[in-house]
Amino acid sequence: MNLVRAELERLSARRFVQLMVVLLVFAFAVTAATTLAGSHKPTASELNSARQQAVDARRSMETTHQECLARLQERSPTDTSEYFADCADLDPVRQERLPIAADFLPGVFSFAEQAESLLYFLIAFLVLFGFLVGASYIGADLNSGGVVNLLLWRPRRLTVLAAKLGTLLGSVLALSLLASVVYLATFWVIGQSAGLPGRLDGDFWGSLGAVHGRGMVLVLLASALGFAIATLGRHTSAALGAVAAYAVVWELGGRLVLQIIDARRPDRLMLSSYIGAWLSGESRFFDPQLCAATAGTGYCSGLYTLTWGPALLVLVALTGGLTVLAFAVFRRRDLI
Amino acid sequence: MSAVIEIEGLRKTFHSLRNGRRVAVDGFDLLVEAGQVHGFLGPNGSGKTTTLRALLGLVRADSGRMTVLGEPSPELLPRVAGQVGAIVESPQFFGNFTGHRTLRLLARAGGVPVSRVDQVLDLVGLHDRGDDRVKSYSLGMKQRLAVASALLKDPRLLILDEPANGLDPAGIREMRDLMRSLAANGVTVLVSSHILGEIQLICDHVTIISRGRRVAAGRVDEVLAGHDRHEFLVRVAEPERAVELLHAAGLTAVVDGEALVVSGVGDPTVVSRALGEQGLWVGELTPLRPDLESVFLELTGAYGPSSVPRQVDDSSPPRDGAVIDLDRGVDA
Repeated sequence: MNLVRAELERLSARRFVQLMVVLLVFAFAVTAATTLAGSHKPTASELNSARQQAVDARRSMETTHQECLARLQERSPTDTSEYFADCADLDPVRQERLPIAADFLPGVFSFAEQAESLLYFLIAFLVLFGFLVGASYIGADLNSGGVVNLLLWRPRRLTVLAAKLGTLLGSVLALSLLASVVYLATFWVIGQSAGLPGRLDGDFWGSLGAVHGRGMVLVLLASALGFAIATLGRHTSAALGAVAAYAVVWELGGRLVLQIIDARRPDRLMLSSYIGAWLSGESRFFDPQLCAATAGTGYCSGLYTLTWGPALLVLVALTGGLTVLAFAVFRRRDLI
Repeated sequence: MSAVIEIEGLRKTFHSLRNGRRVAVDGFDLLVEAGQVHGFLGPNGSGKTTTLRALLGLVRADSGRMTVLGEPSPELLPRVAGQVGAIVESPQFFGNFTGHRTLRLLARAGGVPVSRVDQVLDLVGLHDRGDDRVKSYSLGMKQRLAVASALLKDPRLLILDEPANGLDPAGIREMRDLMRSLAANGVTVLVSSHILGEIQLICDHVTIISRGRRVAAGRVDEVLAGHDRHEFLVRVAEPERAVELLHAAGLTAVVDGEALVVSGVGDPTVVSRALGEQGLWVGELTPLRPDLESVFLELTGAYGPSSVPRQVDDSSPPRDGAVIDLDRGVDA
């Protein structure tokens, strides 16, 4: 416990951590200020007009769907054109969301409509924060001799490293939760006072909570990943270099090569796909290869899906594997 | 006396892709007994720091046996870590922290009462600068802070690697007094240093390492006595004639500037009698005792009249495998 308390003080005193927190507050303040400045409370006539436009839009969607169904019944048996293949795609009932009044209120901030995208922005920042702080926390200490100093006091390598990782994850999680609450509460107040709160029912909070929960897991995984790579490479820059190299060599270069060789479902081989799938619950990717077998025989969307379950498995396996490896290497490493 | 540090047959080889295999420590032995102020000497790259790091569990030894305060190291080092204060090379501290905060953090991590922080800052002369940030400290002040960190635990054994680095003459003297006072209070001190005069002044025992192997060990005065050639500096009016007279008396003498150096002299009255009987009166007859520096340079071959700059690995291995160990006799 003493070790964790000491590590907590060291972590919070790091200039880099303080700088990142200032950046977080600054980005948060700029976003909130611009939102507040660009929004106004809608008048009654603006609301009535927007509601009418939403009704019209929904009616238009229904009409298009009915037209599709009618054409489908009239077409000849030999016509296999894709337009008629799946009218269900046009069915308003099957849409993720239908037009609502808030869609037709320009210059009016709607908390219910924009909370999720705002939360994604916060999660992205916190993932970056966690990764960089995780990498610099151990990387700088290894490089400067801070770890050696600590080991002279507590010559238990695994305990010291575990205390560092535990302190890092606990601190990042606490900061992330605090930032999330303050962030969402601020925009909720803006929605109430200078915009529209929107429809804040159980579904909304459930969906937002799910995104937030998955986001927090991603923040923790990113922190552990930065920590593990910097431990393995002995430097903060090892983690930054590894991520940059991965992004350039595999996510860009590898993707190009996979396209050239017509690999099947190339997105399954990209870490970014799993991050997206985990965060959003599922991700759909297009692969024309999937339609090769069914060419000319009927409708083929060419889409395949990655869901959050396998995505979590991949992310945890990668982070967990590297973390275990970092502990194993650190246990035997010569600290010179 | 009981052994506080015992190292037998320590070997450590570093491997790297660029430099290949480098033997840092090659069968090194060290014995430090309770109450000693033990000097640990060796040229740059001779394996001093690697030995200390291996002893403290920072480097994995290839083979050998080590104990600290009776516990095998590094396996059971945690059992006695609370009684061992150590600095290895110049430890780095957070520049943004004050000296006080730096020590408070270490005290907290090591379960030491925070009240001890002020005591050790006072001991190393940083009491008035304890609330300054470490980045504003001079090299010598950082070194004092490092020593303070080692003293925090109120250790039974203090291991100091180059504690005088960066210290001014007054600081060196204070460090010397501090070590003496710690030793007087029963703390065993192992100190490595390049300042041989300091080691000679503060240490009662010494171990010299060269190329990873022990070349001398024992009490400082006995190590020095082992290298005493019984030489005397003699000043007379006619040095050339004096040399002839001394040769005739069976002594070895050479002219050195305006004086003579006579070696192999068991009894100095032989010199004055041999010259006085021939009318040459001795103006000065001074024994030339070896100091630690000359013994160190002789044993390690770390200095020579070469026009080629000496490289760090140019020091000598032990001659014919012989080790001067005045505690245990001569190991062959």
